[in-house]
Amino acid sequence: MNWRLVLNLLSKLMVLEAALMLPSFFVSLLHGEQALLVFGVPILALVALGLPMTLKQPASKDVHAREGLAVVALSWVLLSLFGTLPFLLSGVIPGFINALFETVSGFTTTGASILNQIEGLPHGVLFWRSFTHWVGGMGVLILTLAILPKLSGSAATLARAESPGPTFSKVVPRMRDTARWMYAVYTVLSLAQLVLLLISGLPLFDAFIHTMGTAGTGGFSNRNASVGAYDNPFAEGIITVFMLLFGMNFAVYFKLLRGEGRASFHSEEVRAYWLLAASAILVTTLLLIPQYGNFFTALRYSSFQVSSIMSTTGYATTDYVLWPQFLHILLLLLMMVGACAGSTAGGMKVSRVVMLRKAGAREIGQATAPRRVRLLKMDRKTISEETLRSVLVFFVIYMGFLFLGTLIASMDGHDFATSFSAIISCLSNIGPGLNLVGPSGNFDIFSPHVKVLLTFLMLAGRLEFIPLLTLFHREMWKTGH
Amino acid sequence: MRIIIIGDGKVGHSIAETLVEEDHEVTIVDRSEAALQRSQETLDAMVVKGNGVNVDTLLEAGATDADILIAVTMSDEINMLSCLTAKRLGARYAIARIRDPEYNKSLSFLMKELLIDYVINPERIMALEISRMLRYPFTGTIETFARGRVEMMDFRLGRDDALVGMTLGDLYRKKPSLPRVLFCAVQREEEAIIPKGDLVFEEGDHIYVAADVLTISQFFRQIGKNTSDIKSVMILGAGRISYYLCRLLLDMRMQVTVIERDEDRAMEFAEMLPEASVIMGDGTDQELLMSEGLDQFDAFVTLSGLDEENIMTGLYAKSAGVRKVIVKNSRDNYMDILGVIGLESVVSVRQVTGNTILRTVRTRGAADSAAAVERMYRLMDGAVEALEFIAQKDEFFINIPLKSLTVNPSALIAVIVRDGQVHIPFGDDVIKPYDRVVVIVKGNNVQRLSDIFIKGMP
Repeated sequence: MNWRLVLNLLSKLMVLEAALMLPSFFVSLLHGEQALLVFGVPILALVALGLPMTLKQPASKDVHAREGLAVVALSWVLLSLFGTLPFLLSGVIPGFINALFETVSGFTTTGASILNQIEGLPHGVLFWRSFTHWVGGMGVLILTLAILPKLSGSAATLARAESPGPTFSKVVPRMRDTARWMYAVYTVLSLAQLVLLLISGLPLFDAFIHTMGTAGTGGFSNRNASVGAYDNPFAEGIITVFMLLFGMNFAVYFKLLRGEGRASFHSEEVRAYWLLAASAILVTTLLLIPQYGNFFTALRYSSFQVSSIMSTTGYATTDYVLWPQFLHILLLLLMMVGACAGSTAGGMKVSRVVMLRKAGAREIGQATAPRRVRLLKMDRKTISEETLRSVLVFFVIYMGFLFLGTLIASMDGHDFATSFSAIISCLSNIGPGLNLVGPSGNFDIFSPHVKVLLTFLMLAGRLEFIPLLTLFHREMWKTGH
Repeated sequence: MRIIIIGDGKVGHSIAETLVEEDHEVTIVDRSEAALQRSQETLDAMVVKGNGVNVDTLLEAGATDADILIAVTMSDEINMLSCLTAKRLGARYAIARIRDPEYNKSLSFLMKELLIDYVINPERIMALEISRMLRYPFTGTIETFARGRVEMMDFRLGRDDALVGMTLGDLYRKKPSLPRVLFCAVQREEEAIIPKGDLVFEEGDHIYVAADVLTISQFFRQIGKNTSDIKSVMILGAGRISYYLCRLLLDMRMQVTVIERDEDRAMEFAEMLPEASVIMGDGTDQELLMSEGLDQFDAFVTLSGLDEENIMTGLYAKSAGVRKVIVKNSRDNYMDILGVIGLESVVSVRQVTGNTILRTVRTRGAADSAAAVERMYRLMDGAVEALEFIAQKDEFFINIPLKSLTVNPSALIAVIVRDGQVHIPFGDDVIKPYDRVVVIVKGNNVQRLSDIFIKGMP
């Protein structure tokens, strides 16, 4: 392990985090809040700690798989630790565990909150809370790759570890260009949403908060009742569409821009994603007609809620805990699936589910005709056995964490649906769950040790397990490699 | 530039490595998942799995707006077809590796019909490299201009060389019989100098000279760098490189002996090259080598397929007192040790092929910004460029004696080639339409031939 290099990259990341706090600092300043204490101190601390270390150049600049994984995992931990400072210094969240939960929930774009009363909190802190969504959605290291001069030949290792999905492929040959390109699309889409939300009548600050929450598929709002507080169908429609757009694989936008529109919709994952979303919305709408009285009202609430859950955003316009039991389970399943690989969303990802289905079908086929050679294809390309294995392992780890997590969470004595959905919600980076942690509920009901567990699960889920879990592997800490 | 490399083998990978380092946008295409996996982990390049002839694969790799496509797969046929397909899709320049001598006979036809812009034959390049090492053991680089008529070489001035302490002006006054070559550039420590008449040569200077092939070897003979030092060469192994090498050496009237173990190959070789003496036997057998008079030969070249055999036999030849021993080695990690154990002249197919391709790519890169450049070489890490132009008939300097034109002080007109004749230009010479003109320039701001003249002065 090249520790010098890891430290160098981590210190660069600290300086970057200081820069990322600047917008919140100005928002805070603009609203006449304690900007200097709440953001000035953390910025100075980050620069003072990070800058001297960035100047020390490591002897070797090669990022191997180990260093890549370590940098990704450690940088997310580090960012989250320093990210708590504005919450702690402003006194909005006094306890460290609570502050860490909220920060990790922000960076991992989960959107689960322990705050009971959001309205009336300082603007700067609320802005920071949502800004972590925006940065965490596309990825901090991808941002680093886009900004920093050429890191090394194998910088793609970092992006691969941070970018969600079973495989990572660049859209252009150079990693830096790929990273820049991804952030460009991300920014343009975000600005488009911001403008539309302003037109729909949201105040500027609220439009910013909800754009960042949607773009990162996070789900933090500055209103207690989330998006439902505005009772504005136009704004709800915009957010619904953009939640689904941000849940789509970003490579699709690249292909669209290059004029390969048709080809982009040949992607099996994208088609499965839209099909799943459309059918879930249809079923939900039909089942909700009795409750809401007419088709269109039912469609308004169901489309928003299904999109919010599938894209792992977690906004709410209504308390779906009051919906029929069947829909609870449907939403839980959608929570596990999540959205597309290569998007800002969480969950298992549609592509993994498609691969798992194909692998299952192959195994059954193999039992009937054992000698037949069967290749698994996706987008007309063979899925390598290695990719397939990683997908299976991902599924096993996800399920393992889900059941073990539920066991530990149940020690707090809440009902099964609450504990189970809280774990799924954190693993898939959604935000709300069912019953006590539903849209009108709150994660503050859990004891500190369960909060620590949930914090860990959010990070593990966002990084898709492997990078974070390697930190707990003996091989990682061995010297002499 | 956007570069697509078809074939992620040894050569493909090492070219990709250098090109990524030089900040090009590189996409690698291969059929093997394992090879691509390795490249993806170690290089900042895009990888595409598939057959390089397949249109979909090439489209995915971005062939439509690729600046260069380099096809270096195992198969000549795939390489040729990849070039054709990619060029039809819109790639601007295509390089193919073609090894089979069968194809090399009809190369110009193939190149024209299959839209291949540059063909690399690694075995032939190796043979050329080795023949150069045998011909001019003291020179580092040879570049050719005007379709091979003009050669440019560099040599280092030793302490006892006659040139040391003389100025360029003195040289021809004191030695009127010295063949006229052009002193293109001098590298003194880190500095690049375009020599004028008053430059004093110093020990340790790297001097680049250019002239036609015959003149240049006469020049070296006269200044005491004896070129035809080596009269007889023994070669181990009768493969393709040996074939090309023998051809070249026999053309230079050297005496060649080839040792080959395989009977059929030995017979075939003897048939193809009746002037060479072919010996059937085990080249690693020291007694056989001595009985064939190894110690009487001026040079020994090992070209068998096994690195270990080449190295051991090479060491033996060295100990037997052969003056020049050249060893073929295909493993990069052996390179350093070989120097330590006394084998200084080591050639590797991969390196030679890679270097040739890289040079072509760099030339392309420079030619991109200056469409008028026919050929370009960078000397001394790019401090000096040698450019070849074809003069157009409506340019202002046509038919004006050079002494009436003012040439930029950091540039030099090196050679003019007219109707196949090579001229070293003097003040009374003129540039005529369609002459090939080679100029040497410091820096890299010359795009057209007219750029080297300062206008408006008599």
